[in-house]
Amino acid sequence: MTPGRRYGLYAAVVVVVGVLVFPVYWMFNTSLAPQNQLYVYPPTFVHPHATLAAYTKILHERPIGRWLLNSLVVVLLSGAYSLGVGVLAGYSLSRFRTRGAGTLGHLLLASRMLPTTLLVIPLFVAMSTVHLINSLWSVVIANVTFIMPFATWMLKGYFDSIPRELDEAAYIDGSSRLGALVRVVLPLAAPGLAATALYSTILAWDEYLFARTFLTTASTWTISVGLGSFRGEYVTYWNEVMAASLIGTLPIILIFLVLERQLIQGLTAGAVK
Amino acid sequence: MVTTQAQAMPAGSTRRTWGRRLRGPEAFSLFLLAPAILTLVFVILYPVLTALNLSFRKVDIYSPGVSEGPFTLANYARLFASAAFWQAVRVSVAYVVLSVGFALLIGFGTALLLNQPFRGRTVARMLAVLPWAVPSVVAANIWWWILDPSYGLLNFVLLRLGLVSLPVNWVASPRPALAAISIVTVWKGYPFFTVMVLAGLQAIPKDLYDAAAVDGGGAFAAFRFVTVPGLRNILALATLLSVLWVFREFTYIWVLTGGGPVRATETLAVMTYREAFTFFHMGFAAAIGVVTLAISTVASILFIRQSGQEFY
Repeated sequence: MTPGRRYGLYAAVVVVVGVLVFPVYWMFNTSLAPQNQLYVYPPTFVHPHATLAAYTKILHERPIGRWLLNSLVVVLLSGAYSLGVGVLAGYSLSRFRTRGAGTLGHLLLASRMLPTTLLVIPLFVAMSTVHLINSLWSVVIANVTFIMPFATWMLKGYFDSIPRELDEAAYIDGSSRLGALVRVVLPLAAPGLAATALYSTILAWDEYLFARTFLTTASTWTISVGLGSFRGEYVTYWNEVMAASLIGTLPIILIFLVLERQLIQGLTAGAVK
Repeated sequence: MVTTQAQAMPAGSTRRTWGRRLRGPEAFSLFLLAPAILTLVFVILYPVLTALNLSFRKVDIYSPGVSEGPFTLANYARLFASAAFWQAVRVSVAYVVLSVGFALLIGFGTALLLNQPFRGRTVARMLAVLPWAVPSVVAANIWWWILDPSYGLLNFVLLRLGLVSLPVNWVASPRPALAAISIVTVWKGYPFFTVMVLAGLQAIPKDLYDAAAVDGGGAFAAFRFVTVPGLRNILALATLLSVLWVFREFTYIWVLTGGGPVRATETLAVMTYREAFTFFHMGFAAAIGVVTLAISTVASILFIRQSGQEFY
């Protein structure tokens, strides 16, 4: 590559990636803005008097801690259930060719394409009937509708990559079928299990529709419902909206930075398999 | 020989296969699948059937037992006769085409760029797909601010570049509002294409590029006759999935415009939700949802037939 071409390439990468990621910087930048710097034109690209005032104010005025905690509960419960079911089903789909299992696999895959705005209607009716409105359980159950199918397929992909011969070796050593799964296959699939768990975390953290519908009082909201509640207020303090948004993004960005490679693999595996 | 064996089998084998089935791999595999099947039935299949049933009943504010009213096609009749429904169909189509089209272009472009060898490529790739990790509501908030008509970044840039002469009222006027929701959707959606195309590019054998070079083709010929055909399947798949996801999208639209102004951004998904939870027309809303589901099912079947391949 000639030096000219190389510099051209670098310039292109910097410009393209810079533009695409700029909104994330803009959130960060605005969250540091002092109140009197919000409604100014032209916009300030680096605030000379950056302050954390918006963070202290928003944490004081809104139950952000509570929302984060609610989200954490939803993430853990819906993730644990989906992963438990997904490990068993994914292993079965990967190892056995039982009649009807293929159909089930396709049903699980197709369910990820269901219009959620359709699903939310009967779920709302059901949650009202069993008095789970305003309970985090409603959202936990509803999240299973998309996390369980997803986890099953992602885990099936990981199990497919573990040679069957290892299961058979375990049988020869006298292991039961379940024993082979628990003692031989699962330890080998641990990285895949971790990636699936984190991917499920991202999905559950992101969920807005079910939570917004089933949770009507602010103290029961998850973080995404809380962050979606700024619109329609009389005055919009952008530094506070951006500070709250950044707080709600941080856990996900951290997961992403640590596990980007595995998550990307999951993204393609779930789609290509 | 074959016939004798087959005839000799049944009497003894029935008992044996049953005995074996109870402990055999088939039973074990069903045992493993049982929780998934039960979950699927209770949280997906049963709700979908309930919604289907609801769509054939006259149900407004829902109370238990109301869904046992008489069977009626009134919801569907009202739906197909309503201007709002056809408007929502048009909005959905425009939104899907705009969003998926631009996400595809940007994703494809960034993937080609980030497939070039250079130092720091890993970091560049990570940054380029970062929007994927930003929560949907946060993405809507960020763009709500960037699209602010008076102090927003986008109007500042557009005015500075001379692309517009007056600030655009992004969220409050119909056509810009449709553009606004598409912008958020593209920003969140292009990384999926980037990732898929990058994966696809790894799978194209280097020999093909060498062969194209030997045949005397330039960079464009290599792109046209090696890269594009090599990515055909993966692009088709990524496009199908994106179309289905964008078609049912709710969050960006609801947070940014709520379907307004005057239904300019009311897609079928948003219309379903508004009818159900703003006006409490549960039966009517279920009918819209069922039609939405039918459209996406038919679209995916046609698409899979057309591209003539097995996706799973």
